[in-house]
Amino acid sequence: MNAYWLALALLCYALSAAGFATERAGLRGRLSRSASLLLGAGAALQSGDLLMRGVEAGNVPVTDFGQALVFLAWLTAIAGLVLIVRFRMPVIGVYVAPIVIVALGIGAATMSHARLAMPQSLRSAWLPVHVTFALLGFALFGLAAIVSLVYLVYERRLKAKLPLLPADGRTPSLEKLDRINYRLLAWGFLMLSLAIVTGALWADATWGHFWSWEPAESWTLLIWFLYAGLLESRLAVGWRGRRAATLTIAVFTVLVGSFVGVSLLATGKHGGNFG
Amino acid sequence: MRETIFIFGVNHRQTPVAIRERLAYADGEIVAALARLKQAAPAIHEVALISTCNRVEIMGVTGASDLAQHQATAFLAGDRGVDSASFASSLYRHEARAAVRHLFRVGASLDSMVVGEPQILGQLKNAYAQAAEAGTAGLVLHRAFHRAFSVAKRVRNATLIGHGSVSVSAAAVGLAGKIFDSLADKTVLLIGAGQMAELTARNLKRLGIQSLLITSRTFDNAVALARKLDGTAVPFDGFQPYLKLADIVIGSLAASRPVIGPDEFEGVIRERRYRPVLMIDLGVPRNFDERLNSMENVYLYDIDDLSAVVQESIGDREREAEKAESIVNLEVEAFLKWLDGLDLVPAIRDIRTSVEQLRELELERHRAWLMSLAPGERERIESLTRGLVNKLLHRILSGIRDGRADGSDGVYAAEIARRLLSAELASDHGGSVNLDRETFDDFAIGDHPDEDDEP
Repeated sequence: MNAYWLALALLCYALSAAGFATERAGLRGRLSRSASLLLGAGAALQSGDLLMRGVEAGNVPVTDFGQALVFLAWLTAIAGLVLIVRFRMPVIGVYVAPIVIVALGIGAATMSHARLAMPQSLRSAWLPVHVTFALLGFALFGLAAIVSLVYLVYERRLKAKLPLLPADGRTPSLEKLDRINYRLLAWGFLMLSLAIVTGALWADATWGHFWSWEPAESWTLLIWFLYAGLLESRLAVGWRGRRAATLTIAVFTVLVGSFVGVSLLATGKHGGNFG
Repeated sequence: MRETIFIFGVNHRQTPVAIRERLAYADGEIVAALARLKQAAPAIHEVALISTCNRVEIMGVTGASDLAQHQATAFLAGDRGVDSASFASSLYRHEARAAVRHLFRVGASLDSMVVGEPQILGQLKNAYAQAAEAGTAGLVLHRAFHRAFSVAKRVRNATLIGHGSVSVSAAAVGLAGKIFDSLADKTVLLIGAGQMAELTARNLKRLGIQSLLITSRTFDNAVALARKLDGTAVPFDGFQPYLKLADIVIGSLAASRPVIGPDEFEGVIRERRYRPVLMIDLGVPRNFDERLNSMENVYLYDIDDLSAVVQESIGDREREAEKAESIVNLEVEAFLKWLDGLDLVPAIRDIRTSVEQLRELELERHRAWLMSLAPGERERIESLTRGLVNKLLHRILSGIRDGRADGSDGVYAAEIARRLLSAELASDHGGSVNLDRETFDDFAIGDHPDEDDEP
């Protein structure tokens, strides 16, 4: 049953991606509206799936790497939709939709479909709070990287005196992309900080210590410092534009690497399947 | 004689402005001119006058287009005091399909000097409103203009014909929109008070620029322009400190060497905390060193770059115009179909009434006998006669319509059928059906024996 929901969601995302890409390629205009609706439909279907699996597990369904990816795909789709619709940046969809597809595809293929037995240690009210903050932070940093990528593409084309795509004149300005990049970073940083704090409180409540220097925690701390430095360079030194965009993408690459590495290779409370 | 829609006039393609300006009507003169035209040209039944800086056109409906053109040309020459010989050779005339197509193309801005420019639609709406006010627009023109407006809207929605910048100053302003989100909090610095710089500054102000600094070698020029544009003049010797305030710098100096180079600008960028700067160099020789473009968050466009943007947009618009042409062609066919149907409408209505009257008359005559029948049988007779009449009508009407599609004159066939049937009705009062062989043959012209009957 669940598999159908996810397959349908994937289909919606795929059509959405095709719509955004077609508009961007200039083959047909005015597709971004339908593409946004499809993105929303995919997120809605995923909500149904998450709800059902959540009820089954008695908590947010993030017991293994695959499930975490599925949850991340859902958060990214929703946050991306907000950017596309509320901040009128359909060009973001060109990147968001495929990334959601990849995350959901890998997640759905690798997650355990067996009846989920939530380990006793994870049955806690802290779990949804901690995980949602952490993954929402991840999604916002990811969107910041996408916005930065669009910025770099546009900046390059403007410097090279080439027209921006899509050619319908509704492309977001560099200033707007830069501002939204900053806001995404700021919100992502807040989420990451809250994830760290809630994780520490949860660890203290369960194991009696805030911090245990396991790989996930060390990497997260490093990433927290990198993002702190990124925000600091903008606020204090005034780095913005290309430099800020390049750094945003670089730090996000580290984040993805550590997420994948820690989840797949390392052991500990965050790694593997929480055994 | 059959009515046809026509349009004739002069436009920017064949007629120089020296003649167009003498033929053109001011906005306020058109309603009165239309009334005079209607009097002077009785061959024209409906008429509208389109007068813009690029075209003076008379559009109307007439039964005799040669005569109509003759009368209208004479009117135009007399009314405007222009020798008709001076414009007669460049006058173009379109009729029927070509006229409709011309109107739709004008409305969709395909016939404009700058393809896709948006003003023409407003001007066309104005021309229509004036014809409506003068009472010279009838059924055909009302419909034609309304279709032209909706074609224009469709073209605008379905193509990118109005996109891109088609002048250097528009290209500069377009670039500002790609770099800056809002212009309200930005500062513009004009270095040199040239005409192009002024035009660009005006366009930027229209889009919300509040703060405008102007410097010029001749301080008086800067002051004069600052007064005109509500800006601030700054002395040319000391404009460097103002550079860090400027988000958009426009250079239009006649200078042999660049006035801004990368070395002194490095400090400016740092002082600006890397906020982006758009530098527009309208000067030849160039005012800004081209190496500025490779500096962080600096976007430098010189006059050639801007011209390239303009050329690109014009090329894009021409490509989009091809899509627009096919939309126009579809709409023209739809309109002509309506127009054709319009000719047949009165005749078809008369034929229907005549035949139906005939049936009722016949039933009435046998009323006494019908009343003696059982209600079920009466109904069967009723439906039998109705079926017979409908079959007959269907043959006649589809024959007329098909005749139209084949190119033979459906109106003619319809007219014959109409006369025939009403004559029959009139003579029927004498009690006998009287169709002579000749008229029956005429009537058969539009009939297609091989057509399928539809229920």
